[in-house]
Amino acid sequence: MRPADDSGRFLEACGLTREYRVGPAIVHALAGVDLQVRRGEFLAVLGVSGSGKSTLLHLLGGLDTPSGGSVRVDGRDLTLLNAYQRALYRRTTVGFVFQSYYLVPSLTAHENVALALTFQGTFGPQRTRLAAEALGRVGLSHRAGHRPGQLSGGEQQRVAIARAIVHRPPLLLADEPTGNLDRATAAEVVALLDALHREMGTTVIMVTHDEEMVCRVVNRALHLRDGRLLPQEGAA
Amino acid sequence: MRRAWKIALLSLAGLRRTPLRVAITASGVAIASGALVSMMAFAVGLQRQLETPLRLLSLLNDINVSPEESKDGRSPPLDDAAVERLGRLPGVAAAFPNIRVRGVKVRHGTHSEPCLAAGAPREAWLLGVSAEILVAGRFFNEGRDPEAIVGAPLLGSLGFASPDEALGATLTLEAGGLSPDDAGSFSYQRKELSVRVVGVFDLPMIVPGPIRRGIILPVDLMKQVPGIRFETALSRLKAGDDAAPGYANVIVRVRDLADLAAVDRQIKELGFRTTTMLSRVQEMQTFLIFLEVVLAAVGTVALVVAALGIANTLLMAVLERYQEIGIYKSIGASYGDLLVLFLTEAGIIGLLGGSGGLLLGRIVSCGLDIAVNAFARRHGITEPMQVFVFPAWLLAGTVLFAVLASVLAGVYPALRAARVDPIRALRRG
Repeated sequence: MRPADDSGRFLEACGLTREYRVGPAIVHALAGVDLQVRRGEFLAVLGVSGSGKSTLLHLLGGLDTPSGGSVRVDGRDLTLLNAYQRALYRRTTVGFVFQSYYLVPSLTAHENVALALTFQGTFGPQRTRLAAEALGRVGLSHRAGHRPGQLSGGEQQRVAIARAIVHRPPLLLADEPTGNLDRATAAEVVALLDALHREMGTTVIMVTHDEEMVCRVVNRALHLRDGRLLPQEGAA
Repeated sequence: MRRAWKIALLSLAGLRRTPLRVAITASGVAIASGALVSMMAFAVGLQRQLETPLRLLSLLNDINVSPEESKDGRSPPLDDAAVERLGRLPGVAAAFPNIRVRGVKVRHGTHSEPCLAAGAPREAWLLGVSAEILVAGRFFNEGRDPEAIVGAPLLGSLGFASPDEALGATLTLEAGGLSPDDAGSFSYQRKELSVRVVGVFDLPMIVPGPIRRGIILPVDLMKQVPGIRFETALSRLKAGDDAAPGYANVIVRVRDLADLAAVDRQIKELGFRTTTMLSRVQEMQTFLIFLEVVLAAVGTVALVVAALGIANTLLMAVLERYQEIGIYKSIGASYGDLLVLFLTEAGIIGLLGGSGGLLLGRIVSCGLDIAVNAFARRHGITEPMQVFVFPAWLLAGTVLFAVLASVLAGVYPALRAARVDPIRALRRG
């Protein structure tokens, strides 16, 4: 594992819990997670399916609200934000990369990337330029006019990464980004995330079950089991 | 604002995905809007048909004055002195006896035709009577020349091929009737008048035929026609009043429609009975407004049904694009953004449907106009009628109403979209 370049605390979660009611039962997806992430750190959260990795990522990304505890990102307490402020937070601070890419099938690669800029209020030539730059950064300039259905899985994920970084967010959250890819393509995507992290200084939190794939690029890896973080083995 | 506009443009991409469904939904709106606009155009057309002759003749500004029929039979005589007094009332442009005589024989060369002769003040053109009623020539001179303005439908019977041919021609009018003398008895008089045609008028079909094919003479000339005071003289004699008889009817024309009520009140205070065309028109307008409301309600019901179709289409779109809505939210779309997105989709369907409805309504009403005119021609009505009238406010209002109804129909689906839980939406994929 590589040491992080920046020691400034960027993200802090305290006693983070998330409970779901399933019929009469209450499921504890997260049960008191404490987490600190430094600015510019590449963190991997490892765990088996159902361990609460995605739930943690959704809470850090402002897609969901915790049942208890708090999350502070860049000085802002996410638990105090209303729905509009959370949308604003996602729009300006976070970039999401999902396992299933989640591209809009009717839009081209360029349009999918530019879509994020539309919600941010960036238009005209600047929007076109930024989207093209982001696609260039992930090596897909030549596929800009293709729709998701015309792209391979790896290419679709690279478009999704371009969409996530087009507005240069300080926090990139990747939820099993290699889960749907073959080994070779998965390695390419991880290498791409590593390159972007190093070039742009973005704080990256990647959730995965594949420790081997990420151990060489991340600064730190945490293990999540049954909604709890296991004691850290080797902090950078 | 620009951001909202750009998000609204995204809705076009959404609509492009299901063109057939959008087309079918918009067709429903088009049929409803077409029905609405056609029915309203019919009501407006009907109103125009009824109002146009009144507007052309400035009849709305007229007060019809007649002697009051009191129990003792005595009322102020409507003689020349009374007419002069009425003409001096504040707000009055002119007062003149309304003299109409039926069965006046008009001769031109070997042609002869009985018609209705009516008197009009020589300064008719000053009184706001629209020049649109003249198809040739002019109104009267203000001198004392024996002039006449002839109804276009009468020309053929008098041997004139066209209105222009009649201008300058001399006609002989032959009229007979009982006229009162100072002794309280009546004698039959017959008189011939020579008049020169200075103008030809034509009135819309809705005006009664005898007036349309009549002849208009200056009031001073009409006063020479025998029999014009027979009715009033007889009723006075029956009542035991042997005073000089007046006119049966006098027209008082006010300068401004706003003065009508005040002048009407003053005339009543002088002891005369009055009726106004405005009050009749208002009764007519009340009926037309009722008709418009009924027709608009029927059209609105159709539009409401179409709006339900829009709601259904958009609900389907929300369900189909559930995951996409999650994507939008994950990249920063707010509650308001999704409302704008789906309400715009609804508005675009409404705009397409409303515009299509205008086209449809215009085509259908054109066809009906042709059919009605063909039917009218078969029944001898040659003047073209415009049954459906589409004023600009109706065209704009229909499209606006269709858009508004569609946007309202889109509120629930848009709210559903805006409230989507992004995590649940993303997991659905």
